[in-house]
Amino acid sequence: MAGDVNRIGEYEWELPVDYRPGMRVPARFFLSETLRKDLESGALEQLANVATLPGILKYSLAMPDIHWGYGFPIGGVAAFSVDGGIISPGGVGFDINCGVRLLSTPLRAVELSQRRELVEHLFQAVPAGVGAKSDRRLSAKDLEEVMVRGAAWAVEEGYGVPRDLERCEEGGGMAGADPSAVSQKARQRGLPQSGTLGSGNHFLEIQEVKEIYDPAAAAAMGVILGSVCVMIHCGSRGLGHQVCTDHLKALEAATKRYGISLPDRQLACAPVTSPEGKAYYGAMAASANYAWANRQMITDMTRKVFVKMFGIGYGEMPLVYDVAHNVAKREVHQVDGKAVPLCVHRKGATRAFGPGSPSIPKDCAAVGQPVIIPGSMGTPSFLLRGTALAMEKTFGSTCHGAGRVTSRTQAKKNLRGQQVRDRLAEAGILVRAPSYESIAEEAPEVYKPSLEVVRVVDAVGLSKLVARLEPLGVIKG
Amino acid sequence: MPFETLPHTADVRIRVTARGLEPLFSESARAMAAIMAPGCVPVPTVTREVTVEAEDLEGLLHDFLSELLYLFDAEGLLLCDCRITLAAGRLSATCRGEEFSREKHAGGAEIKGVSYSGLRIYKEGEDDVLEIIFDV
Repeated sequence: MAGDVNRIGEYEWELPVDYRPGMRVPARFFLSETLRKDLESGALEQLANVATLPGILKYSLAMPDIHWGYGFPIGGVAAFSVDGGIISPGGVGFDINCGVRLLSTPLRAVELSQRRELVEHLFQAVPAGVGAKSDRRLSAKDLEEVMVRGAAWAVEEGYGVPRDLERCEEGGGMAGADPSAVSQKARQRGLPQSGTLGSGNHFLEIQEVKEIYDPAAAAAMGVILGSVCVMIHCGSRGLGHQVCTDHLKALEAATKRYGISLPDRQLACAPVTSPEGKAYYGAMAASANYAWANRQMITDMTRKVFVKMFGIGYGEMPLVYDVAHNVAKREVHQVDGKAVPLCVHRKGATRAFGPGSPSIPKDCAAVGQPVIIPGSMGTPSFLLRGTALAMEKTFGSTCHGAGRVTSRTQAKKNLRGQQVRDRLAEAGILVRAPSYESIAEEAPEVYKPSLEVVRVVDAVGLSKLVARLEPLGVIKG
Repeated sequence: MPFETLPHTADVRIRVTARGLEPLFSESARAMAAIMAPGCVPVPTVTREVTVEAEDLEGLLHDFLSELLYLFDAEGLLLCDCRITLAAGRLSATCRGEEFSREKHAGGAEIKGVSYSGLRIYKEGEDDVLEIIFDV
């Protein structure tokens, strides 16, 4: 690590404002000694780049799963004043509202029979992998509705129950979506892909609640020790990817017009209140809503498999919560004792609002927002709760996952997918994927230990541990 | 000419080398197709004309590859054999390939987008070189 990185707490580090010319605020990030060993210099440079953007308030922030991305680092959080600040697709990424949701079931893991069949049926039911198409191709009119209403559209179409919406960040649909800012190309990509998992690190996982750290919070969220849960990780598919690509080009021109100089072209941006900034926000919100509808449709496919195999009721698999981890949002936060309207970018970071926030489900109001942190195929996932401290320190944000330590290419060189699958099967984790390559690329050892990442956010207090979930079966995209 | 993979933990970062910019762009398209879906063989029935406009070389390459991603998602076309013509601020290409098949082309990674971060086009001796990061 460079010499002028200051340690300001056991887990808290700072790049001072003079770390690099052009920084408007210092950068702060959270790491343990163990995680510090894997910190890439490219990630620090990207963290410093974000600090140069106009209107950034307090700090350019990164969570303990910080790693080298494009534009913002992954794990990056930054808040910009609506008055004079910017919005950038580089702070959201191509996969707008990539996110995670957790469903509970009334089944107990020790009694779960036919596990292999369950994995196979889920794999058959949920389109996954490169080039997978949905069983339901949306009409142009459907897509318009999806972009405006998100998961609410899906629930009305029969892909869920009204309570699901109460358990989604933003109620499963962001206000301010503007379909007119979504190009025909983006729509063409979105039409055949709603209700598909995608590939890469996206997955659907059957899990067991192995440990409860906070019984009151677990009870409020509806999670029971020893029960079977299902975690779904995916995003806005080609529609969101195209929106990012389109608006990056439009904002690049705007960046020049507004006289903003940038250290990285991927950080193309415009003032939040400019026509270009508003257009991106509207298209991004439309993509986020597409992603919520997408996860809702996959939820429906999952529930139907469980209902058919185990004879449980459709309503017996309630949604615990659904979080976005690639998104920019209009939020009001306290800055220097005043309530300030902000545009908060979270790129590979999760909202973690504390107890009492009006934006979280009523039955979780006393404990804080549920936060879902996925592990990798062989490592646990975690349920946490948002805190008042996160509101003070990180604009109500925490980590989003484990973060890779080995590249995909290296993983494929070092590991054989078939062996990874067999090794996981011996450990009681059944994996099904379209190809062995995708299993090798996502093997447990290519990720940082998820426990260490959540241990740091728990120790700092950015969110607090509620439960640990261990994988039983995985569908990889 | 094959491409080589450079270190990058989260995404796919590659380096492509060719003699001349047009062959370099053509090889980049081939590399991208190989990452998404190995084993593309162009057939005469699948041809698309692609034209993009941008202010500089990086912009042209970015927009060209982004257009190929669009055609992959929207039309299921894997275009791996592109003949490129570059002019000031404009790229036109005749792209051949085949329809994507999950059976034939398994084992690839879905590319979400072409990143400007880390995008470099430069000369190395006689060679033209491209470094680029794909979000997967």
